[in-house]
Amino acid sequence: MQENIRNFCIIAHIDHGKSTLADRLLEETGALDKRELKEQTLDSMDIERERGITIKLNAVELNYKKNNKDYLLHLIDTPGHVDFSYEVSRSLAACEGALLVVDAAQGIEAQTLANLYLAIEHDLTIIPVINKIDLPNARPEEVKQELIDAIGFSPDEFIYTSAKTGEGIPELLEAIVDRIPAPTGKDNNKLQALIFDSVFDSYRGVIVACCVKEGTLKVGDKIEFMETKATYDVTELYVTTPKEVKKDYLEAGDVGYIVASIKDINDVKVGDTVTLAKDKADKPLPGYIPMKSMVFCGIYPIEANKFEDLREALEKLKLNDASLTFEPETSSALGFGFRCGFLGLLHMEIIEERISREFNIEIIATSPNVSYEVVLTTGEKIIISSPAELPAKEKITSILEPYIKTNIISPAEYIGPLMELCQDKRGTFINMEYIDKTRVNIHYELPLSEIVYDFFDKLKSYTKGYASFDYEFIGYRESNLVKMDILLNGEQVDALSTIVHKDFAYQRGKKVVESLRKLIPRQLFEVPVQAAINGKIIARETIKALRKDVLAKCYGGDITRKRKLLEKQKEGKKRMKQVGRVEVPQEAFLAVLKMED
Amino acid sequence: MKSAYIHIPFCSSICSYCDFCKFFYNGDLVDKYIDSLIMEIKDNYKGEELDTIYIGGGTPSSLDLKQLDKLLSFISNSLKVSKDLEYTIECNVMDITLEKLELFKKYNINRLSIGIESFNKDILSFLERDYTKEDIIEKISQAKQYFTNINIDLMYAVPNETLDILKEDILEFLKLDIPHISCYSLMIEDHTKLGIKDTNYISEDLDYSMYKLIEDTLEENGYDHYEISNYSKPGYESRHNLCYWKNHKYYGFGLGASGYIANYRYTNTKNLNKYLNGNYIAEKEIITKELNASNYAILGLRTKYGINKKEFKDNIGEDINQYFDTSDLSENDDSFYLDKSKWYIENSILVKFI
Repeated sequence: MQENIRNFCIIAHIDHGKSTLADRLLEETGALDKRELKEQTLDSMDIERERGITIKLNAVELNYKKNNKDYLLHLIDTPGHVDFSYEVSRSLAACEGALLVVDAAQGIEAQTLANLYLAIEHDLTIIPVINKIDLPNARPEEVKQELIDAIGFSPDEFIYTSAKTGEGIPELLEAIVDRIPAPTGKDNNKLQALIFDSVFDSYRGVIVACCVKEGTLKVGDKIEFMETKATYDVTELYVTTPKEVKKDYLEAGDVGYIVASIKDINDVKVGDTVTLAKDKADKPLPGYIPMKSMVFCGIYPIEANKFEDLREALEKLKLNDASLTFEPETSSALGFGFRCGFLGLLHMEIIEERISREFNIEIIATSPNVSYEVVLTTGEKIIISSPAELPAKEKITSILEPYIKTNIISPAEYIGPLMELCQDKRGTFINMEYIDKTRVNIHYELPLSEIVYDFFDKLKSYTKGYASFDYEFIGYRESNLVKMDILLNGEQVDALSTIVHKDFAYQRGKKVVESLRKLIPRQLFEVPVQAAINGKIIARETIKALRKDVLAKCYGGDITRKRKLLEKQKEGKKRMKQVGRVEVPQEAFLAVLKMED
Repeated sequence: MKSAYIHIPFCSSICSYCDFCKFFYNGDLVDKYIDSLIMEIKDNYKGEELDTIYIGGGTPSSLDLKQLDKLLSFISNSLKVSKDLEYTIECNVMDITLEKLELFKKYNINRLSIGIESFNKDILSFLERDYTKEDIIEKISQAKQYFTNINIDLMYAVPNETLDILKEDILEFLKLDIPHISCYSLMIEDHTKLGIKDTNYISEDLDYSMYKLIEDTLEENGYDHYEISNYSKPGYESRHNLCYWKNHKYYGFGLGASGYIANYRYTNTKNLNKYLNGNYIAEKEIITKELNASNYAILGLRTKYGINKKEFKDNIGEDINQYFDTSDLSENDDSFYLDKSKWYIENSILVKFI
């Protein structure tokens, strides 16, 4: 049976048609008919659909017949964004093959390339697929040549598809069966199942998505997670087709879901190995890395009495998302909230959006920051995830910040501006490769904090949107960093404090106070806005007192209109946070980030 | 029910800033309109004795003598009025003629409201008002032969206006010796000529300086600042407008007019055809206790009189300071009110009352 199994995933850039292609495979294999096939079935969260990206993984089992032989295809969906590269690597580890889907008009992009390299590292068989050949501006032959030049495919490996029209899909399915090797585990070996995802179900607890690499797993077995040592009794096993189909057992090569009344998401770590408690595997599958938050921000309810609701929301989100971390934090400006850790900026935005959308809690998020390693004069080393935690200057020997290495793929004509941008962001040039005649992959080492700051926006504007970008974490390095405080009406607003490089402090301080002056509406009194380092003021602006806020003319009939106006104003006020005597709009807390140079 | 507003939606020219309900004057249409208006009043007026009547627009004075006579005589014959009736009609400067003044007098109109807006040539042309300072002086002196209770509308915060221009406008006004003035800072509305041209407001700070200049100068000259935009000599407050601001009930007749009767506020259709066909009311809003309480605040706090304690309690059933947080307000024996220094930023305070 195992020789008829094919486990594969799809690697594609956002918008290059991964989800549509997946839908088409579902349709072609008869897993779902057209009526059932809501557009893009695999992306189940609204936000995913709206943003056209995949956040949570899904695995689907497809039945396919070729030459009278029945095949079982497991399509394992992968997130497409760099924030989730570890999750990607785990789902790649569950597969023997990958479809590299590239848009016939746009060619390959940085994130795709990064994920492709990951797949190659995992020894996956890659099937290059040139998609969207129905587009009027498609240039499949050029894109093909690019891929040959950049990655070294041979010309006859390529499959051309249009996920939109269905063209090429039968050929693609044949290639999957012919080229991707079957998994090679043995049913009678000790159980090793790779966890590549988990989802929370309010009735059944945490459900584990896994790929059985070796051995057999049956309902009733007591399982152990090798990293967390947690044990549970399996109550249910199933696969999705994409409908749920119950199974009595899963054996080597199978991709399915384990239900075991798991209450605590922390027991289930992506990348961990499931084995049998009584008959343990000698060692776990390779590749497990505990996930580490790279980007942090404070999240506070606008209404103080929503603190418990916010905690509940975060707990619920965490049930489905082990990489989200949070702990209570108190800010003198914002009250009670949480310091939250994320894999990256996109992850952060998604969580913030889900809190307000799914849980209806109005929140203020402070500007994001990275974590720092601080070496104290005592020799002790601490890690801080918030500027507020930075000890006094006299107690610090040095501060280290996280560095990353970039893949910036861009048309060659932007090399100049891109290098300028990276230099400005304290980057160190490593090298540069030509992917094809017109495009380069530029490698720099950069402080992550600069990426968090405004790198994405800059990158887009410097290259008219043509460059794509990906990074990997390479370690902590010492930098000359200082904490910059912001004072509103003479009071320090802890939520606006940032850690900046000393050489940039003056310039950034000036810009922050300037943009705060523009973003904070006039108050009933004059409000000074200041930036300070170690108590020394480095920049100042003044928000003038409110002078006019009145509907000058008001006849009897205008009362309805006047009320509407006031209601709107009240709504706006709701989104403000009272900081001391000053009402500060939500956007102001991100002002530290969003500045024009 | 002590008051009635009657709307005449016709004008002989359209000003650049105006977003009231108005149409170009057209004799035929006006005749039909007056018939319809008379029908509406007949159908809805319940016979109460009225303290104030206000004919506004549009430009009521744009009607010809015959049309005015028809309307005014109907009002005289059908509406019951009290002995100290305040009866206002709005007039355009250039519509003032001896014949019209005499007609107004004949039907017991005792207050004129004249839209002057400015004496300055450039401001008048910006607002598309077709007269000069000399015209104003001449017409006002005519009007004063018949009426003492006169209001003048003045506009400020017009683009390119300076404090000096405004100062000059106020001085010209003072020379006229008129007992009431409404000073409005220009509002740029979406569907007006100015709105369409993307006109910008003057700066908030200049606007405020102008407001203060007006207040200081008028107060020095014996005018009482009794509502955000209104000043009067003692005894000349607009009783009709105070009816709105005290949250009292009133009829609104005519196209686009609004009224407050029984337990609801209503707004008439702005569609002339519908109106001529007798479909008067477009919207009705039931005034719940909450809405009513908040209307007392939104309206009352515009005036120096504030919210009357007894009236509030009689209508809402609770004391104001039980019902609302009154910490932003001042208090005297009769009422809670907003200190004058806060009037020009009242919205930021009123949001707490909705």
